[in-house]
This record gives sequence, structure tokens and C-alpha cells, in this order.
Amino acid sequence: MIIPLRQPSLPPVQSPAAGATPLAPSPADEAAPHLGAVSVQLGPSWFADQDLVPNRFATLDAETVRFRSIPIRLKKLAVRTTGFQFPESPAWQLPAKKQDDDAAAADASAARKKKKAKRKRSVDDAEGAKLTRIKPPADVVKLQDRLYYLLQPPLEQLVGSGQLNFPFKPFPYQMDGIAFLFPRYAAVLADEMGLGKTMQAISTIRMLLCSGECRNILLICPKPLVTNWLREFSVWAPEIPIAAIEGNAAKRAWQWRSGEVPVKVANYELLMRDRDIVLGDDVHFDLVTLDEAQRIKNQSSTTSQIVRSISRTRSWALTGTPVENSQDDLVGIFEFLSPGYLNRDMKAASLGKATRDYILRRTKDLVMTDMPPRLSRDAELELTPQQWASYEKAENEGVVRLEEMDADLTIQHVFELVLRLKQICNFDPATGSSAKLERLVADMEEVAASGQKAIVFSQWVSSIEKMRSALAPFGPLEYHGRVPHSKRDGVIDRFKNDPDCKVILMSYGAGSVGLNLQFCRYVFLFDRWWNPAIEDQAINRAHRIGVKGAVTITRMLAMNTIEERIARVLDEKRELFEAIFAETGSPRSGGGLTRDEIFGLFDLRCPQGKIDG
Amino acid sequence: MAATPDAIGFYTVQHCERAGWTGGYLMLNSAGRPLEFHCTLPVRPSRAHEILFGPTLREHIIGEAVGTALLPKARVRPLLICCDQPEALHLDASLPAPIGLVARAAEGEEGPVTSDSLPGYESVLIAEAECLVAMERAAAVRELAERFDELPDLMEPFSRIREAIQEAQQQVARAA
Repeated sequence: MIIPLRQPSLPPVQSPAAGATPLAPSPADEAAPHLGAVSVQLGPSWFADQDLVPNRFATLDAETVRFRSIPIRLKKLAVRTTGFQFPESPAWQLPAKKQDDDAAAADASAARKKKKAKRKRSVDDAEGAKLTRIKPPADVVKLQDRLYYLLQPPLEQLVGSGQLNFPFKPFPYQMDGIAFLFPRYAAVLADEMGLGKTMQAISTIRMLLCSGECRNILLICPKPLVTNWLREFSVWAPEIPIAAIEGNAAKRAWQWRSGEVPVKVANYELLMRDRDIVLGDDVHFDLVTLDEAQRIKNQSSTTSQIVRSISRTRSWALTGTPVENSQDDLVGIFEFLSPGYLNRDMKAASLGKATRDYILRRTKDLVMTDMPPRLSRDAELELTPQQWASYEKAENEGVVRLEEMDADLTIQHVFELVLRLKQICNFDPATGSSAKLERLVADMEEVAASGQKAIVFSQWVSSIEKMRSALAPFGPLEYHGRVPHSKRDGVIDRFKNDPDCKVILMSYGAGSVGLNLQFCRYVFLFDRWWNPAIEDQAINRAHRIGVKGAVTITRMLAMNTIEERIARVLDEKRELFEAIFAETGSPRSGGGLTRDEIFGLFDLRCPQGKIDG
Repeated sequence: MAATPDAIGFYTVQHCERAGWTGGYLMLNSAGRPLEFHCTLPVRPSRAHEILFGPTLREHIIGEAVGTALLPKARVRPLLICCDQPEALHLDASLPAPIGLVARAAEGEEGPVTSDSLPGYESVLIAEAECLVAMERAAAVRELAERFDELPDLMEPFSRIREAIQEAQQQVARAA
């Protein structure tokens, strides 16, 4: 409806179109007085002139809109659920032995108070800090199993809460290592030496025992490392009963079968003697862990065969050098972990891809960014005239002899010559003259003067014996194959504690694995080992966690000799390992020499052609 | 539902524009180790739900639809249920155990949450974390607090639930 406008004082407003026919009066005109009128003053105003004010009116009658309600039925939100139950493991603690109830309650109360204080600190510390979760491996497929691992508390809470006591707070990468091992039934922990593989394995074993997932564990390691494992267990898992399998046959047979001690430690050599018992139907382990697992790289060796035949549920391998010589080493280790999973024909890249989920390898450069550096220097030495004369003669005669052998030439013949020449690079056989020893004595004076200690590595015990008298002012100790096992721990203790003992002379074989000598700042490699991985192991006796300052490594190298040629070949070998481990993690290892390469040292051709394996 | 001494539940609902609303309920023992986990398939409210519930839709989903469907599924009866969303507190009346809002866990979405901002709720310290529970339940919850002394943290379990939901959804996606 339109309300008509009225102009009482003025005549009706004319349409601008004067001749236009006015609209017929509408019914609204009559109704207007009842509705009231709005007066509009027409004048010169710009907004109310005649153009804008209508002078006719119309009305439009609209029908009343009728509202209709339409009901909308709102369905209840459909919620579908799924659920999983997990086996309960009350806490990260071994079942307590029976004790007096009151005493137990008092202990528990005291422990709670301690834990409360610890937790407060850890929660404060953990604000925004990284939490390490146990991630299920790719081969765990069932959702319930994957969730079981995912829903475990982060490892930092174990350390911080006091549920499991740790003597030191593990480094974040060590937490990652534990989280890696815990859910895996087949795993290689291949951290570079010195990063704490032992600690990571022990802590994970401890968690598996405490959570009830494992009850019977076998650790196999080289014989000299048995005491080291026992010692490390006493530090990192003091509540876990552990025993080394040793003694007479009857005692060992009982130990193998006993379920009283959850962790047993055996050495590789012992497996040979006790193979009938170990492989018996009544012996099964929830977990078998191999330390220095490169010992089984050769699949045809008896050790490898026995180890692979042990009845077990989980298989772990610990090694700093998963590939020492060739990728076949890794295939050999995997025959223990997951038989048939790898084969020798695989290319390095595909090998790396296939093993990615099974291998964890970290290097110090990668994880220990705040670790003091490792400074390497090559002491490039000229042989003494006496050495040089002996060397030239030996080489010339040796090569001529090898060439004369023609088809009868074997790798052993070449190898003998290499060894002979390397020994001359150490000491002149006729006079005992040694450029390396002269340099070593000079360097040792500086080491001793600065109050530091040094480790000297050599391939030969005979070379070590020749160093003895020249190094007498520095109180030399010896650690090699001719030192009885029973005395070796004493040697290490004395080296650590006796301020007059400034140097220890070690053979690569005895001293390159498992020892913690991080108080030493200097390492001398009197001669080069065939394999840089072994050299790395030796160096890492000193350059490992806990080292307080930079470690200086001096590699003695006789110039223009076989040593220089070997060093060059070995440097090239590292490339292979980088190709494999580029797919799994970060590499820092190297391989030894192949037969072809050993023949190549003297420009000789391998008579049997290319030799595999 | 079996009564297990010293079990504690954690309940949260995750919202994702694409997938919808997914509820997760984790039951831990007093040492923080998992006993049970329950989750929903993603719930997708219809347009009608969105219009008619308006701003109360979130409250309906967290405090009614998902909560009442999910929480009774547990076989173990917890002593306390912790949540990180205030809307879940509405479930209190329908649960056999008291429900408490872990104040710091709720801060991410809600900003600082205190008993002042939640009238009728009282703060109780559990495992060193402030937990807001209905006043009439506060005394009972305080008595329980000591039983969860060994629990390392009241906030962290919610992130476990979120990871578990993600894992479950990934597996469903892979299977599809």
C-alpha cells in the first residue's frame, strides 16, 4: 500500500507532463485520511521538487502470505567405534622378590617421594623438548601391534620419572637407538664406534625384560669383550641378573639350560665347543644379540652356521662395520637376521633400500655435533737409509721372484711380500733402524710433557716389542695377543690410573674393539691396517663419548713405499660403502683389499682372473 | 566393565576439516603404560546438523555424541578420566568415574583455563598437573591423586592418542 502525500496549502501538484491524463483515483485515496497524511513542503528544495514527489498514487493489494511448517528430522550422529586391548605390563620394573610387607611399603613410599621430585624436574625440562616414541617397524602390519608400540610412553619419561634408573641421561640419538631396537625382531645397530651401541642394546634389553616381552636373552661377543659387557650391564642395568657362560663342560651345560638368569653372555669361540647343547631342542632364546657381528659375515664359516642355527625369536646384530670388505658382508649378517632376505647379486643401491628399515647407522659427525673433533694427520716419513736399502732389495728380489712363478703365483705369495715390505717400513731387519720410531719418540715427549697419554697401534707384536726400549721413559704398557686374557683388565686399569704410564702399545687385533680409553688424547697408527674400518675402530677407543678434548690421530706413512700405495687403494674403497649406506643412513667406513688389488700393488695380474668372494 | 586398580583414562576428540571428528580414548595404568585404546571412525555431521546445532555443534559432538558412544566401550573402569576439551566435562553425569580437564592440555585451544573461568569446577593437582573437576567430585578426586604419583605426565597421553588416530587413519587409507 502506498500512503498518499497531501499538500494542504498548495494546489494539487501537476504532473510535469501537463497534457498527460491523470490516473484514475485509486481506492487508496479514500482510505488515506484514515491512515494519516504526511505533508511535504514543496519549494525550491533540491530534494523535494516536483520531479521527485509523485503526484499520483497507486495501491497494490497483496495477499497475506501463509506460513507452512516443514519438519526436518535430524538424525542422531552415527558414531562407530573400534577398540584394542593390550597385554598389561604394570611398570618398567622386574617383579620384586618377596619381602616383608611393611618394609616393602616403606620402600615404595620412599621411592614414590623420590620419583615425585624427579618427575617434577623432568616435566619442567620436557616442556617443548623432543619426545622419543617407539615407532613400529614397517614389517609390523597389524594395527593392534602397531598401536601397542605407538602408545607406549616416550622414552624420556622413563629416564625422567625414575621408573628405570639411568646412571647418566642418554643422548637423544641413543634414545632413538633404543626406540629403534625395542620393537624390532631383526635389527642391525651399526653406529660408528664410540657412540654407545653397548649402552643402547643393554637399555633396550632391560626394557624388554621389564616389560615381560623377553625372558631369556643370549649375548654373543668376542672373548675379550665378555668382561666389558658384564661391566656395562652393572652400570646400565644393575638390577638385571647376568652371567657369563664359562667353566667346565658340566657347568656350562647347566648354564645354557638354566632359566634362572635372564641374560647370558657367551663368546664366539665357546659356541664351537658347546654347539651340541646350544643347538639342542631344549634351548631357545627370546633374543640373540651378536656383538661385533661382522664375525659372521662369512656365511660358510662354522661360527656363522652355528649362530644362525640357534633357536631364537628376535635377532639383533651390533657392529660398527657392517661392511668391511664387500657388500657380501652385509648379506652374511642378514642371513642371521632374516635368512634369504638379501642376496649377493643385489646392487649396492637396492641393498641399501632393502635394508633401510632394519639398519640404524649414525656417525659422530652426524649426532655428536658438540663432541671434540678428531684431528687426523699423516706423518709422511722418509725411510732411514738402512731401511731404504733393505726395502729396495726386498722389493726388487720379491717382484722378480713373483714374476718367475708365473702360473704358480698365488695370493699368498703376493701377500707375503707385502707383509715383508710393511715390516721393513716399520723397522730395518738388519739394524733395527726406524724412521717411524724416531718420530714416535719425538712426539711422545711432547705428549708426556703436556700431561697426556697415547695409544700406539701396530699390526705386529714383534714391532711392538721393538718399540719397548725406546719408549721406556714413558712407562709403556702392552695389550696384544701375547698378553693373557686374565691380565688384560689389569693392564687397562693401570694405564688409566698410573700417571707414569703415558703410552700403551696395542695390536689391532686385541685392542681395536670394546675398550673405553677416552682419556687418551693421542692415537698413533704405527702401521696401517688393511681395512680402514679396523683403523676406525682402533681410533675410536679414544675418540668416543666422554672424551674431554680433541683427539689427534697420527698415521705413520713411509713415503714411496708399499704403504703409500695401499693407502691410496683403501681411500678409493670408501666409495663403495657410501653407495650402500647412502640409502640407509650415513656411512663412514671402508673396505679391505681384494685379491686383484693386492696383485695390482706390484703391477702383477691375478693368474686366475677375477676372483669372487 | 572390570574394575582395575589405578587405571586412568584420557579422552580427546580431534577435528579435521577433511575427515571430520574422531574421538580417541586411551586407558593407562598408573605407570603410564597402555591398557586399552578405543577410537571412533571419523564422524561427519550433516549440513542440517551444522545449521541446527550452530555454535553448539562442537559441544554436542565432544560432550555427547562421541563421548557417550566411546567411553563406555572400555573394559577397564578407570578411577579418573582426563580430557583436554572443556566440552567433554558435560559427560560427567553419564560416566562412572569423575572427569577432569587437564588445564595445561586445554590451553592450546582455549587459552589459559582456571577454576575462575570454569565456574563450578575446582582445581586438583594430579601428577603435578592442574586438573579441573566438578566441585562435588573434587574431594573424591583429591583422594585418588596419590595413586597416580608415578604417572610421569598428564599432558603427553593426549599426543599419544592423536598419533594413534593418525596411524589408524593411515592404515584405513592404505587399505582403501
